[in-house]
Amino acid sequence: MLSDDHLKDGEAERVLGDFVRAYREELDSRIPPAAQPRAMLRERLVEASEENPRWLPVAALAMAACLAVFGVYERGLLRRSADPIVPQRALTPGEARNISIAEACQGSADATIAVPTSVRRAVFREYGIRDTRTDRYEIDYLITPELGGANSIRNLWPEPYSAVWNAHVKDELESRLHGLVCAGQIDLTTAQKEIARDWIGAYKKYFHRDRPE
Amino acid sequence: MTNPHAEEVLALFERHRAGLLRYLLTFRIPVADGEEIVQEVFLALFDHLRKGRPRENLDGWVFRVAHNLALKRYARAQREAAVEGPERADEALDPEEQFAEAQRQDRLLAVMRALPETDRWCLALRAEGLPYRQIAEVLGISLGAVANSLERSLARLARADRRAYVVR
Repeated sequence: MLSDDHLKDGEAERVLGDFVRAYREELDSRIPPAAQPRAMLRERLVEASEENPRWLPVAALAMAACLAVFGVYERGLLRRSADPIVPQRALTPGEARNISIAEACQGSADATIAVPTSVRRAVFREYGIRDTRTDRYEIDYLITPELGGANSIRNLWPEPYSAVWNAHVKDELESRLHGLVCAGQIDLTTAQKEIARDWIGAYKKYFHRDRPE
Repeated sequence: MTNPHAEEVLALFERHRAGLLRYLLTFRIPVADGEEIVQEVFLALFDHLRKGRPRENLDGWVFRVAHNLALKRYARAQREAAVEGPERADEALDPEEQFAEAQRQDRLLAVMRALPETDRWCLALRAEGLPYRQIAEVLGISLGAVANSLERSLARLARADRRAYVVR
């Protein structure tokens, strides 16, 4: 006699098939049409594209460099001298969530939503930046989310694209530190502390060079 | 919209929205909250693609992120429920609707609801067509644990099914 838990030949597939039909029938009836959520996502993607344009082509950066040569910076358009290439500790000390190495390295720890416009404005206001055009600054996490950085204003600051030590350079450091943590070469807390305390110093230390290439 | 990442994200949204919502509903999350989580998932995916992060297995990636966000939302709801008292999800339904709702509850779904959390998630992800390896990645458990969980759940479903035939 078969035990209750023994599946007969083909029974598993049949039961799974029946279950999938019931599961979908039941749950699909509760799912509203997709049109409105789709439109909302489209709108939010447009906003996110404008807010944080890491994908801007290199040509745009080259153009910024040319403008610098012609002294546009001197007229105060970019206020480069005032660019906060390092975060102010009183405003942005860095804040981390309590995550495990496994979470950091599974690739799901960076599941953060785009920084809301209201928070972006608050960060600019704190740093006294009036020119908030989004191609100038990235509102960046000091401790990157993939290293457990928190989605908090204490972990955000306006990082310029135009400086030598810019947002793209910091991205390189973030990837390097993430790789080292996941390879077990440094611990997660050390990586968080070093990037929060002095990200430029951390770059020099882990890339063994004094300036970005 | 001209941003290619945004177009790709929208295409993946079309493909996965319903499956993700079904999966989120198994966490007993209200539909509106599930929709918001789905939005967060695809905004995170946009950020992921834009940063040039790995593109392998994006189908599994969206379920993994949804799972993590759902756990957070679920934990928060539990904390709030502890303060505000038990949730009365069916409050809005009148008795007739409640009866109709109860009638729709298939015996197999009743078995699913009674499963332990991990078994329920494994079964729901399998129902969404994820292979064992992706289920293991989403839930952060071993391949063997997924196989054992599904075997256990299918045995329970089969047992319930056989009993239903005997009763009829």
